[in-house]
Amino acid sequence: MADPFSNEPIRVDHLPQLHAHAFVSVDPRYVWGRLAGLAVTTVVVIAVAVLVAVQGDNVVAPSAVGGGIVLLLALVAVVSILESRRLAYQLREHDVSLRGGVIQHRVETIPFSRIQHVSVGRGLIERWLGLATLEVSSAGPDISVPGLSVADADRIKQVVAERAGVADVTDEGQHGEPQASMRLPPPPWPAP
Amino acid sequence: MAGAVIDLTEPRRQSPLAIVLLGLRAVRSLGIVQIALALFFIVRGAADGRLVLVGLVVVAGFVGISLLSWWRYTFQLVDGELVVTKGILRTDRLTVGVGRIQSIAIEQELLHRLTGLVKVVVDTAGSAQAEFTIDAVERPVAEELRRRATVVGAFTATVGASDVATPQGAVAATERIVFRHTPRRLAIAALTMSPWAGIALLVPLIAVADQVLEPFGEQLSDVAPDVDVDSFGWWIAPAAVVAVVIFVILLNLGRVFLADWQLTLRTDDDTMRRTSGLLSLTSTTSSVDRVQVLTSRQNPLQHRVGLQNVQLSNAGAGDMRLIGCSDGEFATTATLAGLAPVGDLALDRRIHPAEIWLDVRNTALLAAVAAGAGLLLVGWWALAAFVVVPVVWWATRRRVRNSRWSLGSEFATSSRVISSSTKQSVLRKTNAVRVTQTIFERRRGLATVEMVTAAGIVTVGMVPIEEADAVRDVILHGVETDRRAWM
Repeated sequence: MADPFSNEPIRVDHLPQLHAHAFVSVDPRYVWGRLAGLAVTTVVVIAVAVLVAVQGDNVVAPSAVGGGIVLLLALVAVVSILESRRLAYQLREHDVSLRGGVIQHRVETIPFSRIQHVSVGRGLIERWLGLATLEVSSAGPDISVPGLSVADADRIKQVVAERAGVADVTDEGQHGEPQASMRLPPPPWPAP
Repeated sequence: MAGAVIDLTEPRRQSPLAIVLLGLRAVRSLGIVQIALALFFIVRGAADGRLVLVGLVVVAGFVGISLLSWWRYTFQLVDGELVVTKGILRTDRLTVGVGRIQSIAIEQELLHRLTGLVKVVVDTAGSAQAEFTIDAVERPVAEELRRRATVVGAFTATVGASDVATPQGAVAATERIVFRHTPRRLAIAALTMSPWAGIALLVPLIAVADQVLEPFGEQLSDVAPDVDVDSFGWWIAPAAVVAVVIFVILLNLGRVFLADWQLTLRTDDDTMRRTSGLLSLTSTTSSVDRVQVLTSRQNPLQHRVGLQNVQLSNAGAGDMRLIGCSDGEFATTATLAGLAPVGDLALDRRIHPAEIWLDVRNTALLAAVAAGAGLLLVGWWALAAFVVVPVVWWATRRRVRNSRWSLGSEFATSSRVISSSTKQSVLRKTNAVRVTQTIFERRRGLATVEMVTAAGIVTVGMVPIEEADAVRDVILHGVETDRRAWM
C-alpha cells in the first residue's frame, strides 16, 4: 500500500544541525608530526646558512637570510600548533564534516551519498607516530582528515565506505580483499 | 539511418583521414611558437641543404608516427563497455562502461565536412578533458555509437552537429527545437559582447611582429621611416581608439559567426542539445540530470537589447554556452534544466554592508603602499593611487545593494555592478557545503557559505553566521533526503 502523501512545511530550526560541540579533535600527536617536519626544514636551512657563511667572505648576508627563514618557520610552527588544535571531524548518519583553519575558519561537509571513494594514507612521519590520513573524495571537492590513529582511520573508512556504498580503497591502492572468485590462479611455474 | 547493421563488437579502425588529423595534432602539440621558429630558421637558411634535410626528416617522422598511431588505434563496444586500444611503443587499453559516459560529441571540422566524416569525443567526467577522441570515422558508425550510449541511460551527451548538417542525421522523433538564433540575433549578440578576448589572441603576434618582418629585410621602423610624431594632429588619439573599436567589433563578429552560427537548442523529454558552428560544427547534448549549475550574465548593452549569455555547467566536459538569449529563452532553458526561472525566485535575502568597508579598507591599504613606493619615483603624483578608493567604494556599494540570494529547493544568487549575473543550482546537486569565516567576518559575526557541485560553486558571503549555518543545514537536509538522480 502506498504511503499517504504529505507535504507539511519543515521548520529550519527543526532540521538536524551540525553542532560545534560534536566535533572530535584529531590525535594530539598530529601536532608533533607537523613540528617534526618543520624542524627538519629548519635544520636544513641553518646548515645551508652556516655552509655559505663559512665558505664566503660575507657572514652577515647568509646569517640574515637564514635567520629570516628560521623566524618564518617559527611563525609557521605557531600557526601549525593552533591549526592542529582546531582541526576536528564529525561523522553523522548521512555526512562527514571537517573543521579547520586558523586565520580563516572553515567547516566543510560532504554527504555520504556524494562520496566517490574513500582511502587511508600514511606518510613517513605519520607511520613513525602511528597516525594516518583519511581521504574522502567526491565529484566536487575532496576532504582530508589527518592526525587519526590508524585504528580510528580504518574504522571511519569502513563506516564511510559502507554508508556511501563506494569502493573502499586501501592505502596500497587496492580495492579491499578480493573475493575468492576474483583471485588470480596460482602461477604456472613452481615457487622458488 | 537505414541500411546495414553496424557491428561495433569487433575492433574498428578510424578512417584513413585520421592519419592527416593525427599528424596535424602531433604538429600542433609541438607548439605554434616552436613551429614558427623552426620555419623561420629553415626559411633563413634555405641555401643550407642540411637544414632542408633536417626538415624532411622531421616531416617523415611525423608521417610515420601518424601512420602508426592510426594503425594501433582501435575501438569497440564489448559487454556494455567502450574499449579503446592505442599506443605505439606500449599498448594502452582504455575501458569505460557505457553507463558511465557523460557525453558523446560528434563534431565536423572543415576537413571532416569535405570528406563526409565526423569526429567523436567521449567524456566520462573522470577528468576535465574528454577521455577518448575518435578523430575521423564514418557518420553511421558514430551515430550507432551514440545510439548505443543513449539506450543505456541518462548521460550528458555532446552530440553531433551532424544532425543539423545532413538529412541522414538521426534526430530523435520526440526532439523539438526550443530556439534557433538568426544571423541578425547573432550579430546583435556579437556587437553587445565584450570583445577583449579576441584582442588577447593578437598580443603575441604584436610582440613578435618585428622578428617576423626582420628576415624580409624590413624592420618595423623601416615601414614608416622618419615619421615625425609631433606632426600628428589632436585627432590621432580618438581616431586610433575608433580604429581599435571597429577592429575588435569585426573580430568579435567573426568569432561569434564562426563558433555560434545557427546556434540551436533542441530538447526531448530527457535531454537538451545545443548545435552551432560555421566551418566546424559542434553539438552538445546534456541530460537534465547532468546539469549542475545555471549561470547568466548580462552587460548594460545586452540589457538594453534584452539579451543575455547563459551557461549550463555539467559534470565533465560538456558545458553548454548559449549566447544572446532573450528572457523567454533563458526561462525556457532554466525550466528544461529542472530549475525555476530566476525571475520566479523570490531573491529576497541580502548581504551585509560590511563588505563595503572591507573592500574600501583593503583598497586604501594597497593604495597607501603603492603611493608610498611611488613617492620616491614620481613624487606627489603617487597620491593619485588613492583615486581608486572612491571607485571601489562606489562599485562595492552598488554590488552590495544589488546582491540578492534565496534558498528554497534551489540555491540562487544574483549581483550587479555594471554587468549583472545570476547563478543557481538545485540542492540535490550538492557535493559539499562549506561555511568559512575570515577574521573580518568573525569579528562581525558573519560568514560565507558555499554550495559546491560537481561543476561549480554557488557562494554567498557576508551573511550572519547563524544564517550561514542554517543554509548549510537546509542544503544538507535537501541533498540527504532527495533520492532523485543528481548526475
